[in-house]
Amino acid sequence: MRFQWLVLLAALAAAPSASAQISVSPIRDLAFGSVIVGVPSTVAPSHPTRSGQFQITAPTGSKVQVRLTLPGQLAGPSGAQLPINFSSNDAIAIGGWPGSTPDVFNPKATRNLQFTGGTIYNVFVGGTVSPAANQLPGSYAATITLTLTNF
Amino acid sequence: MRTATVLSAIVAAGLTVGAATAEAQTSAGIQATATVLSALTVAAGNNLVFGNVTPGVNKTIAIADPGAGTFTVTKAASSGVTLSFTLPTDLASGTDLLPIGSWSGAWNTSATTVGATAFTPSPAGTNTTVNAATALTVFVGATVSPPLAQPAGSYSGTVTMSAVYF
Repeated sequence: MRFQWLVLLAALAAAPSASAQISVSPIRDLAFGSVIVGVPSTVAPSHPTRSGQFQITAPTGSKVQVRLTLPGQLAGPSGAQLPINFSSNDAIAIGGWPGSTPDVFNPKATRNLQFTGGTIYNVFVGGTVSPAANQLPGSYAATITLTLTNF
Repeated sequence: MRTATVLSAIVAAGLTVGAATAEAQTSAGIQATATVLSALTVAAGNNLVFGNVTPGVNKTIAIADPGAGTFTVTKAASSGVTLSFTLPTDLASGTDLLPIGSWSGAWNTSATTVGATAFTPSPAGTNTTVNAATALTVFVGATVSPPLAQPAGSYSGTVTMSAVYF
């Protein structure tokens, strides 16, 4: 019986943790570059260099839920804030395997992804900043967080 | 029985761990960034003035001459701009035309041509360097070429300069 105990404990210890099998990495910031006071500026999620990008890794066949936590303002000099908005088609998920179809989705809603043909998904994020006519010049930034839940 | 109970407890604990793992979360963050620049403005300064010209004699106004045209650009510091021009090919006096060309230009962070950077004004645009100044002065010169039969009169045309951040 003690042997069975050891086998059971060993089996539990050796069982791979699902949390160790999924991961998300930041790849690229959502970069609006230079914007002019009073002139809104949009970066599409399909932009090759300025869209934000995360990379998700999970085993083939697994399903994950993606949730983006989005800012409403970018923080700037002397407490100034720059409004940022996200439209319903400002996020795209693309599987990293041949033939994967881009999945345009609302970044303000959760999205379920299934790894049908590989182990990598890329999620791209766009948005629009709207500097006011009296916007204080300077550098502004805020954090976009992608939370991944497996199920 | 005691062993079986212990094993059941361990199995239950294992299932509990498994259930918690199945709902595991992980997250990562990126930055959304923007640099706000002040408004870009262009103001007309001095007209490009040739004064009296003689039929059959070309006359050139260089960028350092008193008759040179000027524009002033107000911009954000630490930025560069593209200067683009709409240039006439003739000055007009009613239906009479006076050919103008051989455009010359220069820009400087101060209102002097000393140390200015020369360029050729064109519709295609010329990039200034990225510099810390918040104002640029642009100087414009050209040459008029009145033929021998040029009708007497007062001729004029419009030189338009546009500036955009790059």
